[in-house]
Amino acid sequence: MNSIYPDLIALSPLILLAVSAVVVMLAAAFYRNPRPVIMLTLLGLILSFTSLFLPQSIASRQVTALLVLDHYALFFIGLIVVATFVVAVLCYRYFGGNESRHEALYILLLLAALGGGVLVASSHFASFLLGLELLSISLFALIAYPRFTERPLEAGIKYLILAGFSSGLLLFGMALVYAQLGTMQFAKIGTMLTAPDQALELYGLAGLALIVTGVGFKLALVPFHMWTPDVYEGAPAPITAFIATVSKGAMLALLLRYFLMAGAYQSHQITFALSLVAVTSILVGNLLALLQDNIKRILAYSSIAQLGYLLVGFLAFDPLAIEAVAYFLTAYFVTMLGAFGVVTVRSGGFNGGDNDGSGGVAERDSDRLADYAGLFWHRPWLAGVFTAMLLSLAGIPLTMGFIGKFYILAAGVEASLWIPVIALVIGSTIGLFYYLRIIAVMCAPGSQAITEPTMRPVASPSLVESVMLAALALLLIWLGVFPAQLIDVLEGTVVNLS
Amino acid sequence: MEATFYLSAAVAVAATLMVVTRASAVHALLYLIVSLLAVAVVFFVLGAPFVAALEVIIYAGAIMVLFVFVIMMLNLGNAAAVKEREWLRPGMWMGPAILSALLLAELIYILVGNEGAAIAGRAAVDSREVGITLFGPYLLGVELASLLLLAGLVGACHLGWHTESAWSSHSESLSDSHGHEHG
Repeated sequence: MNSIYPDLIALSPLILLAVSAVVVMLAAAFYRNPRPVIMLTLLGLILSFTSLFLPQSIASRQVTALLVLDHYALFFIGLIVVATFVVAVLCYRYFGGNESRHEALYILLLLAALGGGVLVASSHFASFLLGLELLSISLFALIAYPRFTERPLEAGIKYLILAGFSSGLLLFGMALVYAQLGTMQFAKIGTMLTAPDQALELYGLAGLALIVTGVGFKLALVPFHMWTPDVYEGAPAPITAFIATVSKGAMLALLLRYFLMAGAYQSHQITFALSLVAVTSILVGNLLALLQDNIKRILAYSSIAQLGYLLVGFLAFDPLAIEAVAYFLTAYFVTMLGAFGVVTVRSGGFNGGDNDGSGGVAERDSDRLADYAGLFWHRPWLAGVFTAMLLSLAGIPLTMGFIGKFYILAAGVEASLWIPVIALVIGSTIGLFYYLRIIAVMCAPGSQAITEPTMRPVASPSLVESVMLAALALLLIWLGVFPAQLIDVLEGTVVNLS
Repeated sequence: MEATFYLSAAVAVAATLMVVTRASAVHALLYLIVSLLAVAVVFFVLGAPFVAALEVIIYAGAIMVLFVFVIMMLNLGNAAAVKEREWLRPGMWMGPAILSALLLAELIYILVGNEGAAIAGRAAVDSREVGITLFGPYLLGVELASLLLLAGLVGACHLGWHTESAWSSHSESLSDSHGHEHG
């Protein structure tokens, strides 16, 4: 029984997330006031983040067969917790601030973050599936959260069906792999497959392909990307930020761990299929983004393309690749949170007015290009933050996005993945068009927002939101100019995976 | 014997196909129950009688209860009675009945011949073993499943909250001491 304490300490970030979800629920049951609820939520997230430094001394602790709390997992749990913190702050004013009754939102956010944390730490199919389901069930309720408006409900149902479908594919794939190898632990699968004269048989391979397909749905890679723009557009803006960052980031971290631990990268058919997926994701994502008029849809297609870039680094499967993926993912988190943060700040939100249309319920977020016309002239700081985020997405120097893309390119070139690398370069060039188009619209001097027929009650960001956005923008540029600081952290943590 | 496995698996597939293709919800539900029973028999034949029992109790049992609840909650009038009479035509219940009879025959055959656990080639997994595994190496999985249920509960509670109109009354009914006025 002595050995349980190190386990508990190793698990403490996840335990604290779960405990804070329960505490928030109980607090919400007794005090129907949003202020203590958001405070408790943020406190739980901060505690969970600080507890990440407790298990640092214990290198790579396997807690039962299900979870492995190594530095790789701790790094990504930290990323997820910070992203959830930002999303929780963004949700507060958006969902009505002090006058709201939205306690369930924060419980679901904490549970979704826990699901993401379990995903990045899982070393077993069972915890993989449980973490994934925890994440997607919470997300489904979060997407449909403004349940009296049409678009979020529609988006929620779309997400529910696709999440169920992809979970079914994943389960079937896991069953097939289990049928051949008789184990569900990643590490054991890996050692079994590295044995000579042992490889996945045809149905084991089909299982692996099904797993990749299921994960592809979650990551919105190209043949499986249809749901993304609709869900991104329909979901409330802070929740969209959460889907784009936490949900996808956790999935990708898990996929990387699975491929390295379970030796899936040895299967050439699968890596070939993945490189095909990467190339199509980059090209299709960027090309379709050109046709959009809606900021959220543009960002959705852009996130498809960004995941394609990530896959290029992913396919190299060496320590440099892990570092590149982790850096790019961090940059992607910061950028997407910032971009959707600006959309959130510009939107009126679902803050509890009447339902007859005249009240405070926004039928949609401020997500059309026209809503951003001339933003530079009346909200220079906000427009500046947005511009920084878009430039980072485009990969312009002095931002994190540039360093991330550089890293990915280096990893790709080193592994001589020529075709994906060429696709990456072409995709980045196409991408510049639509990012610059948004910036051009924001700069347009003639069109003041006052004269716009679609003029909407302009939301003013709260102080906390402004601080948050400013911090994100500063981080973006700071780590873009001095990337060595983050790289040092990465070299101390994630690279130990392999 | 392997034939029992294949027969019940075939019944499961056939019943599930019928679930997907039926137009009437009641009909589909009947087939769904048969499909779940068939899966239970598959588990039994494979040497997992405890899971088979759970399958019957939780899935077939719970779904029956849900079905009854839905029927109870719908406002049933004369039209429903007419429909009910229509549903009692043999064409409606014959299919599920035949499939269930097949399963029953199979089950009697297994029980009489004491064939259970023969196909798996090892001892049957009893409830004790399942419990020890669940609360031993897979304890974290159980805890995670409980949190998953919590997420489902909170989400369903929020999405299913019944109010007369919309957000304003929603917030008012929730605020205990003072009602807020929203423009």
